[in-house]
Amino acid sequence: MSELEQYLKDHKPVVKDDPTFLLEAQRRMEAVSGIKDEVDRQRRHGRWALVIALCAGLILGVAVSAVAFFFPVNPESMGQGILDSLRLFLQDYREYLLLLPTALLAIALALVLFRNKKGSAWGAL
Amino acid sequence: MTQERFIDLIRAEQEPLRRFLLGLCCGDDALADDIAQDALVRAYVASGKFLGLSKFSTWLFRIAYNCYIDHCRKPGRAHAALESREALAVPSGDASDGRFRYQQLYQALEKIPEKEKVAIVLFYFEDKSIKEISAILDMPAGTVKYHLSSGRGHLKQYIQL
Repeated sequence: MSELEQYLKDHKPVVKDDPTFLLEAQRRMEAVSGIKDEVDRQRRHGRWALVIALCAGLILGVAVSAVAFFFPVNPESMGQGILDSLRLFLQDYREYLLLLPTALLAIALALVLFRNKKGSAWGAL
Repeated sequence: MTQERFIDLIRAEQEPLRRFLLGLCCGDDALADDIAQDALVRAYVASGKFLGLSKFSTWLFRIAYNCYIDHCRKPGRAHAALESREALAVPSGDASDGRFRYQQLYQALEKIPEKEKVAIVLFYFEDKSIKEISAILDMPAGTVKYHLSSGRGHLKQYIQL
């Protein structure tokens, strides 16, 4: 250990003994307990929103897969160009296409909520 | 987390927390305690978010460091800090011996960059490991080592051993 390191170890700051410190902290905590309750309530709501979004994404994903399985694309269209295939696909599935953006939205919402939750895990305030 | 449980947790951490902030505030104990109180309130409000992924002390120190950074960014802070340092430099009463003992150290800490100062304070005063410092400051371990090394180099210029 170098001289400087020894000097730093020997010169750790000493805090004054202050019995009122914790009492003051407690007083301030009581003053903000309403804010804490609100933060906790929002966190619970966020958790529910996350679960609902994940379930919705899963259900819609299964529904889209089922539609694709039970109503396959016309095999003849496979040999045609991309644009024709896309047109036929849209024609075949037009009644189910609403599900796709809804599923994408649900998954995006779930991802956003998950990212927010992960970011706040450290309590980076 | 209930208030009682939180108070129990901070009872053990209050002294290291205050010492950490005292080092960062270069001996201004009133300011250090004020920031510590602010940090404890913020930690209490956010205590439901503490998932136990790190040690409680690491989480608390991170919040305290953020509070310190917020304080540093406040406008007019430089002038107030200067006045505060001037008041500290005047020896008065029994506290003067203690202040003289640390005066050289605090003056040196004041002159080095913030990142180096916080790395030095956490490593040498709080005996935190590189891994813990890395978590508190949210920077890679290699960067922490760099700041420590650089901070030691700068301190050598200001401290007469």
